[in-house]
Amino acid sequence: MRDFLLHNVSPFPADETANGHGNMQIRALRDGFVFHLLGRSDTDTATVEKTIAAPIADLGGELRQLAPYQWFWVGNATLSQERVAEISAALPSMLALTDQTHGRVRLVVSGPQVRSVLAKGAMIDLADDVFAIGQSVMTQIGHIGAMITRTGDAEFEIMVLRSFAESLWHEIHQMAAEFN
Amino acid sequence: MTSFRIDGGTSINRDDVRQFSFNGEKLSGFGGDTVASALLANGKQLVGRSFKYHRPRGILTAGAAEPNALLTIGRDGRRDPNTRATMAELFDGLEARSQNCWPNVDFDIGAVNGVLGPILGAGFYYKTFMWPAAFWEKVYEPIIRKAAGLGRASYDPDPGYYEKCWAHCDLLVIGAGAAGLAAALTAGRAGARVIIADEGAQLGGGMRAERSMIDGKPADIFLGDVMGELISLPNVDIKSRTTIFANYDDGVFGGVERVQKHLPEAEINPNRAMERLWRIVAKHTILATGAEERPIVFGGNDRPGVMMAGAMRTYLNAYGVAPGKRVALFANNDQAYDTARDLEERGIEIAAIIDPRTCPDVGYHGSARHIAGAVVRDTAGRKGLKSITVRHDDGRDEVIAVDALAISGGYSPIVHLACHRGARPVWSDDHAGFMPPMDADGLTPVGAVSGVRGIVACFNAGANAACDALVGLGISARPALIGADVAGDHVNDPEAAGAQDTLPVWSVPSARGKAFVDFQNDVTASDINLAMREGYDHVELAKRYTTNGMATDQGKTSNVNAIGILAENKGVSPGDIGTTTFRPFYTPVSFGALVGASKGFEFQPVRKSPLHGWAARNGAKFVETGLWYRSSWFPKGGETFWRDSVDREVLNVRTNVGICDVSTLGKIEIFGADAAEFLNRVYCNAFLKLPVGKARYGLMLREDGFIYDDGTTSCLAENHYFMTTTTALAAGVLTHLEFCAQVLWPELDVRLASATDQWAQMAVAGPKARATLAKIIDDDLGNEAFPFLAAREVSLFGGKLRGRLFRISFSGELAYEIAVPAGYGSCVADAIMEAGKEFDIAPYGTEALGVMRIEKGHVTHAEINGTVTPADLGMGRMVSAKKDDFIGRVMNKREGLLDAARPLLVGIKPKSPSDRFATGSHILNVGADVRLENDQGYVTSTCHSPNLGHTIGLALIKGGPERYGEEVVIWNGLAGTHVTGVICNPAFVDPENEKLHA
Amino acid sequence: MSSLVKCPHCGLRPREEFTIRGEVPSPRPASDAPANAWFDHVYLRDNPRGEHREYWHHAGGCRRWLVLSRNTITHDISAVVDASTLKAGTKS
Repeated sequence: MRDFLLHNVSPFPADETANGHGNMQIRALRDGFVFHLLGRSDTDTATVEKTIAAPIADLGGELRQLAPYQWFWVGNATLSQERVAEISAALPSMLALTDQTHGRVRLVVSGPQVRSVLAKGAMIDLADDVFAIGQSVMTQIGHIGAMITRTGDAEFEIMVLRSFAESLWHEIHQMAAEFN
Repeated sequence: MTSFRIDGGTSINRDDVRQFSFNGEKLSGFGGDTVASALLANGKQLVGRSFKYHRPRGILTAGAAEPNALLTIGRDGRRDPNTRATMAELFDGLEARSQNCWPNVDFDIGAVNGVLGPILGAGFYYKTFMWPAAFWEKVYEPIIRKAAGLGRASYDPDPGYYEKCWAHCDLLVIGAGAAGLAAALTAGRAGARVIIADEGAQLGGGMRAERSMIDGKPADIFLGDVMGELISLPNVDIKSRTTIFANYDDGVFGGVERVQKHLPEAEINPNRAMERLWRIVAKHTILATGAEERPIVFGGNDRPGVMMAGAMRTYLNAYGVAPGKRVALFANNDQAYDTARDLEERGIEIAAIIDPRTCPDVGYHGSARHIAGAVVRDTAGRKGLKSITVRHDDGRDEVIAVDALAISGGYSPIVHLACHRGARPVWSDDHAGFMPPMDADGLTPVGAVSGVRGIVACFNAGANAACDALVGLGISARPALIGADVAGDHVNDPEAAGAQDTLPVWSVPSARGKAFVDFQNDVTASDINLAMREGYDHVELAKRYTTNGMATDQGKTSNVNAIGILAENKGVSPGDIGTTTFRPFYTPVSFGALVGASKGFEFQPVRKSPLHGWAARNGAKFVETGLWYRSSWFPKGGETFWRDSVDREVLNVRTNVGICDVSTLGKIEIFGADAAEFLNRVYCNAFLKLPVGKARYGLMLREDGFIYDDGTTSCLAENHYFMTTTTALAAGVLTHLEFCAQVLWPELDVRLASATDQWAQMAVAGPKARATLAKIIDDDLGNEAFPFLAAREVSLFGGKLRGRLFRISFSGELAYEIAVPAGYGSCVADAIMEAGKEFDIAPYGTEALGVMRIEKGHVTHAEINGTVTPADLGMGRMVSAKKDDFIGRVMNKREGLLDAARPLLVGIKPKSPSDRFATGSHILNVGADVRLENDQGYVTSTCHSPNLGHTIGLALIKGGPERYGEEVVIWNGLAGTHVTGVICNPAFVDPENEKLHA
Repeated sequence: MSSLVKCPHCGLRPREEFTIRGEVPSPRPASDAPANAWFDHVYLRDNPRGEHREYWHHAGGCRRWLVLSRNTITHDISAVVDASTLKAGTKS
């Protein structure tokens, strides 16, 4: 078994580029990491930033708050399980880290009508002057919980629980179809 | 074209000829026509039959309130019944049919009901179909169903796509008439985010029927210019064909946009919505919905050819359709005279203007005969109007031959959206109508809906209202100066706007024949009088007793007249009667729009396990468990009957080894300095001293002392625990824990993270489980190194991967659960299959899992059904007597929960192995009658045990384990069967747990 | 029923993101409290016409438990707070 090849299977359907040719692009993010940080109930974002200053300088990524005292640290680097364990072990007791890289998966939707597409599922006002680049919300797209992050002028990243990935993928393609 | 189509028409394009059919007859119209205007242009006055009496009916209105002209449009899955001909846009190839008539609209057998009129009065159904009760289902209902009803829904699925959307704005403007357009333009120029919605295909509202020059331009040119400016403003969103149908709480409005309903099938884009349901979040709303012209209640007022005066003017000016050749006007207000003026200008003969007012000063200078102080009391003509009978003020009757009659009984502000949240409209004698409650909750009624009359005044009011609203939002604005100059505006002096000129005539006293109040429900003035005499004089009771104001039009043309009649008869003001309650929807909304995209695959989200693909490759049959798809069995080698597979899978686990996907179990990471204390409080058994590297089975109670859920929790490190829950309650348990942590004990340092989706988790069970896993797991799995209930991280594939290994067992076999990051699950499952090949490993599904847990007497939510305590399941000793506090501690000790007569968990088997029994069967003592007081308990779970070769079950039975060996009757009331059973130990297999600890 | 709720952590959100548990009962009694206190806490609810305090869980957002002060007649929400801030609070 020592020659066993590990393959990381994406929950998104394999034909993922099939619908990405028109005005709207939808693509899965295969690499990177998602850490769920859980602070004691006196932890603020500044403290967390300070606490993870060293590893974040090294690995990159950004903090997205999902709830009081809770953040996702999301980045595009590829890490070994050992490295994750090291980072986790180095944290003080006021901050816990749990790796959700496989549990929360990401896709990017972009294109001129991206807001019209997302308005078909999300109540959040994503208007240019209301929802700034870098801003994140934990909300629902249709019946599926998701974190929406604005990553560009007309580009949003959607993070969703892995088990819902295929349904969300399908829904977003359907929502975008009229523009393609 | 026909002689009914004349020149002009601001809404139609004569270069765009469109063919359509009406009841199979080929007709044509123009682009911009509604089905109603096209039918009228083709001389089709008779379009349908009425609901109860099957009377011939024509087109009454030119808009949303239409009670009569309901057609079925389209065919197959795209068939829309009860479509208002006045709102449906004409497209090439449109097919329209009349409803509620058989064999056809011209000769309708149901019309015999008209003769039975006196019998079918108010409360007819309540009075007639009372007894005998047995007749209800078999006789009365089918008859009523056949006779009543409007259009019929299609049985074919609608192939169209529908969707729901959210929208946000500073200012929502509802209605794009003069007031709405001025408001939108004002706010748009000020840079506010504006949504202006109008139910029409084209903006303009009543202005489309206007022949006056507005700012020196014809109405359509003027509207085109305004539209052009609105389109040029990026902050203005114009939603035409969009009906705002509801005002929900917190500034959220519901709307439906008919995106593609007006297109021929060939032009429909399948990727675009047919209709879009909008939820609009508005900071402020301008309600510019206008006013509805009221009919007058007189004899034969429903005859085809009788039409609202404003509608007649609309058909004339917007669609270039003449209502007839010789027309009369019966009106009690000044505004209606615009219709007479325009008809005359177009060369249509006006036979007479009948005005109940004795000396109206209307500034009418036309040549038509004017009969003041008179009313129309009756009409004649079989399927279309031939003449009217006028009752003069001296009591003399005069018959006047006409083929169309315009009627106008005043104007009812369209207040619905101002009243959906419970506010009541206010009666105004000045306006002879119910006015909207003003400026309630960020909603400003403006224009005709607030009683403003005349185009100039409406422009001003709209612009000013928008300025005021924007000030409230911190946006400065200047009123848009449009429409200041309207030639011949009926009331162009804003000071005079709203002056009293309507003399209400709730019903014509001398009316002869049926005088309809509600056209759609065939409610007459005498029905309302009857309801009053019988004591149903409260407006809500009168509505339900007579059905006035029900069905698709919800009384838009009838309610105020009904209220007026009630008020007149009681000698009070209509304000004292009040209105019925306004509720969404303003107009009917299709089920397609309400369902949106949630159909077919998108009916609800599907959750798939990270091992779904692996299971599918291995031939799994899936079962829906909540949103999850779980593999339930894996047919192999020609197995066609599910139980063949399940039996094989069970026996294989018991003799060799099996692998099962348990990824759907809820998984929760628990951190924090007080995590152990927290667990100790949410479980009824002790958790404070659970050592690192160990798992423990836990029972969670509800605060009322009954069991909530069970599962295992492992201590992975100091202050780090990993909880598993049942699949069914994964979300519920997390929510419960969050409640405990945030609400009950916020002082504890405990942090919860859902980790269900992070892990692919597999149960590997059977005597060869250790041998199988040892081939891929680097750590020592021996009993000493990794005993029962060990739980810790392990290394796989020579250090290539780390996973979590738990020695727990639901099957009762030597078993492990291995969890790896989800993306690797499929590969690891393949590797386990490869490793177990020499031991004949086979995948097993939830069915086999269910069989094995019953064979071991393990419980699930079939037993933990909300009515059982730990003691009921033989786990009473797990409930800690030492802990000070935990959820359910106090209530679990209630007398009733300690009662010795409570049913307790036992096993049950048939006395004769060939007998079978079903879950849900009740237990009776041998010889006892089937009576509730003889009930001994019930069967909670059953299965066929391939190990024992017969049916086995778990049951909750009074006396419980004390009755092992006793024979009882297993009674199935549904199937009407009973078999003799024997109560036994629920651990049918390996009661000593030797296999578990092997 | 309210269409939008202003979550103190997430801002204005649609009702669909929330799960309603019902009235905020009397505080959870101590273990040795009299039986009446426990019955009150577990079972007794007022269901008032007018002002009402309810537990709402922002399941589709921050997953925090909130206490809404809501008028059952007008549906107006007068206050939304994180439920953890009410530990010492008593029944309204």
